[in-house]
Amino acid sequence: MGKCFLIARANLRRGKGQTAAIVALILMGAAMLNLWLMLSMDYKRNFDRCHQELNAGHVTLVLNGRSEELSGFIDDILKTDEQVTDYSIEDALCMVGSFAYNQGEVNTELLILEKEAALNRSVERMEILEEGDVASGVYLPMLYGTDGNLAPGRQVMVTIGGHEMRYDICGFLNSAMAGSHNCVMSAILLTVDCYRELEESGYAPASTLVSVRIRDKDESEAFEAELKNRVSSRYPDIRTVSNSYILVTTSRYISQMICSGIVSAMAFFVTLIALVVIASNVTHYIQENMESLGALKAVGYTGGQIVGALLLQFVGVALLTALAGTGISYMLFPGVNRMMIAQTGIPYKVHFLPGPFVLTLCAVGGTVALAVWLSSRRIYRIEPITALRQGIRTHSFKRNPVPLDTARAPLHLALAMKTTLSGMKQNITVCVTMLAICLVVVFAGLMVENVIVDMEPFIQLIVGETADSCINVNVGSEEEFRRLMEENACVEKAYMYNSVNVTCGEGEGVILLATVSEDFSEVNNQNVCFEGRFPRYENEVAVGAKFAREQGLKIGDEVRMTASGEAVYLICGFTQISNNLGKDCLLTREGYERIGTLENVSYYINVAEGTDIEAFHRETAEKIGSGANAYINVNSVVEGSASVYVSLMAIIVAAVLLLGAAITVFVLYLLVRTLLDARKRDYGIMKALGYTTGQLVLQTAAGFMPTVILSVAAGLCLCSWIINPLTAVFLSGIGIVKCTFTVPAGLIAASGVGLAAFTFGTACLLSLRIRKIVPVNLLAGE
Amino acid sequence: MKKQRLIACISIIFAAELLLLFLFAARDDANLQDTVAVNEVLHAVQDGWGKREGPGVLQDLDYVVLDTEGNVLYGTRRGLSESINQAVMHRDTVLDITVDGRVTGKLILYNDSVEYWRRQKRALTCFFGLFLLLQWGICAGYLLWLDRSILKPFHKLKDFARRVAGGNLDMPMEMDRRNVFGAFTESFDIMRAELKKARKAEAKANASKRELVAGLSHDIRTPVASIRAAAEVGAALAEHGGGMDCAALLGTVRENYAQIIRKSDQISGLVNNLFTAALEDLERLSVSPGLMESRELCGILENADYLHRGRLPEIPDCLLWADRFRLQQVFDNLFANSYKYAGTQIRVEACRDSRCLRVTVEDEGGGVREEELPLLKEKFRRGQNAGKAEGAGLGLYISDYFMREMEGGLLVENGEKGLRVTVVISQGGR
Amino acid sequence: MREVLLKTEGLSKSFSGRGTLQHVLKNIDLELYRGDFTVIMGASGAGKSTLLYALSGMDTPSLGRITFGDRVISELDSDALAVFRRRACGFVFQQVYLIEGMSVMDNILAAGLLVNRDRKALVRRAGELLRAVDIPEEAWKKFPSQLSGGEAQRVGIVRGLINSPQILFADEPTGALNSQTGLDVLDTITSFNRQGQSVVMVTHDMRSARRGNRILYLKDGAVLGECDLGKYVPGDRERHEKLSAFLKEMGW
Repeated sequence: MGKCFLIARANLRRGKGQTAAIVALILMGAAMLNLWLMLSMDYKRNFDRCHQELNAGHVTLVLNGRSEELSGFIDDILKTDEQVTDYSIEDALCMVGSFAYNQGEVNTELLILEKEAALNRSVERMEILEEGDVASGVYLPMLYGTDGNLAPGRQVMVTIGGHEMRYDICGFLNSAMAGSHNCVMSAILLTVDCYRELEESGYAPASTLVSVRIRDKDESEAFEAELKNRVSSRYPDIRTVSNSYILVTTSRYISQMICSGIVSAMAFFVTLIALVVIASNVTHYIQENMESLGALKAVGYTGGQIVGALLLQFVGVALLTALAGTGISYMLFPGVNRMMIAQTGIPYKVHFLPGPFVLTLCAVGGTVALAVWLSSRRIYRIEPITALRQGIRTHSFKRNPVPLDTARAPLHLALAMKTTLSGMKQNITVCVTMLAICLVVVFAGLMVENVIVDMEPFIQLIVGETADSCINVNVGSEEEFRRLMEENACVEKAYMYNSVNVTCGEGEGVILLATVSEDFSEVNNQNVCFEGRFPRYENEVAVGAKFAREQGLKIGDEVRMTASGEAVYLICGFTQISNNLGKDCLLTREGYERIGTLENVSYYINVAEGTDIEAFHRETAEKIGSGANAYINVNSVVEGSASVYVSLMAIIVAAVLLLGAAITVFVLYLLVRTLLDARKRDYGIMKALGYTTGQLVLQTAAGFMPTVILSVAAGLCLCSWIINPLTAVFLSGIGIVKCTFTVPAGLIAASGVGLAAFTFGTACLLSLRIRKIVPVNLLAGE
Repeated sequence: MKKQRLIACISIIFAAELLLLFLFAARDDANLQDTVAVNEVLHAVQDGWGKREGPGVLQDLDYVVLDTEGNVLYGTRRGLSESINQAVMHRDTVLDITVDGRVTGKLILYNDSVEYWRRQKRALTCFFGLFLLLQWGICAGYLLWLDRSILKPFHKLKDFARRVAGGNLDMPMEMDRRNVFGAFTESFDIMRAELKKARKAEAKANASKRELVAGLSHDIRTPVASIRAAAEVGAALAEHGGGMDCAALLGTVRENYAQIIRKSDQISGLVNNLFTAALEDLERLSVSPGLMESRELCGILENADYLHRGRLPEIPDCLLWADRFRLQQVFDNLFANSYKYAGTQIRVEACRDSRCLRVTVEDEGGGVREEELPLLKEKFRRGQNAGKAEGAGLGLYISDYFMREMEGGLLVENGEKGLRVTVVISQGGR
Repeated sequence: MREVLLKTEGLSKSFSGRGTLQHVLKNIDLELYRGDFTVIMGASGAGKSTLLYALSGMDTPSLGRITFGDRVISELDSDALAVFRRRACGFVFQQVYLIEGMSVMDNILAAGLLVNRDRKALVRRAGELLRAVDIPEEAWKKFPSQLSGGEAQRVGIVRGLINSPQILFADEPTGALNSQTGLDVLDTITSFNRQGQSVVMVTHDMRSARRGNRILYLKDGAVLGECDLGKYVPGDRERHEKLSAFLKEMGW
């Protein structure tokens, strides 16, 4: 061990620059690895902690009705059910509402509770996180305080069922199951006076809030379906809003999932590059020090001791660096955390996590050890004598690539080609790096094109269907509404697009969000159905691909759907809408009417450009009166919730690109160093012959270019091809199976050219070290 | 290396073949009917019920429509099953056509699996044929290559080894650099060449060793032989000592012994030559000149001319042989003298010739009398115009001594307007 | 008077290392003439090679001026020196210094193409020169490691001459060779000199020195003396004695 240590120390001293570069790479890799592990291992668990602390329910059910009988009925069900461990039934108000958020507005089911009652519930307690000194007003979920526009003391205008209410903001609350528009309902708390006032106004129907804790939280979805079924079979007229633990955990952690996916990919690449660099370093070391290694063997060191020294050297450095890297990740974490909270809406306190820490160290140490061991196995085979004699190296059979006497290329280009063709190992490293960087570039290009510049594709993917306006009308007023729309010049297209719940499958089944339209060829987002086709006949259905996969359904299979009646449908296609995390289906109106009746119908409306949607809503409202239930400005709603993703993506893209540039520079630095070291003598000779520094620098940099250009071209094509499926893998958790983002060919080609130019420039800068090679040194060295 | 790649290549092909075979065997071969397409056809037929013409071929499906009596209403082409019985025989799909809740006819969808299986079989045959061909090609190529690159060179090597064993080291090994085996055969040839070289070197080393010994013994034998001769004479004289007169005897003996002493000296001289070096006693304490660059003179002059009476001259680049410290003293003295006795502007010039650098310092104080000039450099001598100025008269003497020690010199003469002192500094390497 | 090709005035070169200044060349004033075979001799450490590299623009002097034709090369920066070298100077090194990864022909062309763009003419000239130094055509595609020492050195000479330099600088070209191949190399250089090529050669070997017509003896970084031998005639006994006497005088 002592001997190993001596050799290791000597090696480290000799290669300070190399060590520095490896340290930097491992530092980045370890920081990302740890960040990823923290995000994926603990971040989501935080929800459970919060859930536990608030004794939150696993199923939340809101019934638009309030009576002794109703509560008694629910009470009976829950009391007798073996699954239920605890529950709580409270009075509440519940109505669709909206308020300003993030430059747009958020439109969601508002679950309005009286403050004191909400804070003292036995199950599904809310907690106040931030409180101003306003005596009377509203508490909003903390998510809506993250954009900085809403703060205690300010006023907020909440539209509740079409009526605008103005409240002072008292503070922000935290709720596990109802803290964000992502969990179907958002809780808002009103102080007693405001609550009474609202209750008396009747804008929001008096409702009953039921929160249930059950034994097995994985059963929450089934329990939700069952409970809903039992309530609706007894009270078919009562509108219900509900969510379950599984739905909420998944939907509140979408950004965490995307972010940790990206960070994991980057961590993987950085670590891979670090390993390649270490491996090539070791190989280079062995080549350079063949003689001294032979000498060491000759004086009695065993191969194991020498390999041990190398292991000690690299693994030691790697572990120390990884330690620092985890430190860095803790410095980065608060920033990432802020970004995440804007989507999850659940406070998270950064603290030390031993699990990820140990895992990171093990992973870094283990992989580095493996890389060193694999590339240093040669040492075992070195015979001291041949090593000392340098083998019979002078009798190698080399080829002479690009002979100057016949090559058509100009001199410097020809010499650069020689460099390229003689360094296979270097080419492979360049190639691997460039492929990784290409993925980064293509991903960035894709995100820029589809999220940052034009949100449309992204929104279509995440939200599903978008139009300008959505108006919900009673079935009785439908004829009149249609006529109105046809007459109105502003309306380009109005089509039925209504969501109802249906239960799918035998027995308890699974609740699916069925989207019902008369003619699916009219909907804006034709990408929703990505396999098969939209339902066309009354016995056809298109189901969510994620759901179908879970249930093992194929196109052509039949499924049983239940609403008030039941019928069998033929699956004609798969859809992907992330709204309900993949639990959705499409039915034609005729098809739905086989099993249920629609009371009210939502229409999506495309209006002519430049139409004021608010004005359009007012106009329609005047004409149709009480026939319409709700008016939604879809654009502003979408903008409100999507801008979080846009800013998240912008940050990720910037970070990823920066990191890519850093990696390129590092790898080139190492390659150029190795090249210059290996060819120092040649450069000396060439300088003596009259080559200037500039010519040699250009030659060296140009030597990298064929590989760079080829691998960038190949990498960009390959990545453009696989990026959509790859993104789909990232997003599979939210029900996306197939992505159809447009790949911006122009942008990607331009960035490919930019990447090549950047590489060339960097290689030039790095090879300026040639300046220091003086022919005389070479001659004096003899 | 190449071999490994080849084996890997063949293994991969085999593995791929096996995998495909397994996949084919394990494939769920159910040639299923596309129910969605069937549904669409059924709906299309139902929607168009009562019209004379059917909707035509839909979704690539061929079908026949019968009414309730079994009459063919229409079909997409001829040669399809045209009755329920035919349909059952052909395993066709038969569906009811329902219009307004009443069954009004039958839809027979043609079963095309025969065609399907034929296509499958053809694809499979082509595929495996191709693979087999590829494998055969690789194996044949490899065998050919094996023969060319290993077996043939081996035979060649056998003859070669026999020759080397027989002691014939002059015949070089022919080798083909293009085959992998070339490196191996070449190493044999290197072995042969090295063996040959080693034999030659051995012979040569032996020869030179003999020469050295011969030379040494010759050199040492000569003085030893003289000593021996002298000693023999002494011995002979001692024998016949009585016959000679005493003085002559003593003279001869003395001479003999002198001879012995001389020769011993010679031997010890030879030894001394090997081990001793002459000691030179160079006790020059005060001045230790070394190489310095001429541009250092600028600093020295600047230091000396602290009143800035003169302008610094352009000093030609060269290496000087001087003692920096002493040179500073020399110039200090010159400028101080000028300040003391003349007090005028000072002209400083420097010029280089092949041997030395001359720095001329000239003031405008009128100089000294011509006859005093040679005396100025002597100890304790001062010029007539010294007057009351303090001084011991040692300055120029010491400066002159310093300059001579530096292999240079000091020239004192009268210039046009005053005293002109030229400091001659020797250049390095002269 | 013969045409002066290269002139130095007060040429000095110092190296600093470990805090001390080491003066290798001291105030050298020298003129080299066109068509001469100048030999610089001296014991090892006398500064022969340093002088050669300063003269050839491979290195810049610490002090003094070097004039090549009408250009002062001691004032050029390293890139300008490189451009100067490729046109005016050819080099032959003791260790030959062929580039390992290139064939014989490529080694020569890598130098030649820097100056001359006419690839065909260049290949022709390279061929002529290679034949002139007895390198058979089969060897043109070989790599330096496959050549014998003598062959490699002759290829080195061809590379030095490919651009028709004004002066060929040779630094102990026979130092690493055995006697017979050394003689071949010397013959090659001598024959090019006979055709008018100016040569400056550094050596500490008397047999090599005999080839020159002007011998400079360097000691401790200064030219101690010089000797004019006249044109080389093989087997000239008197010439040999004259050189021996000179070297003895110099303390060889």
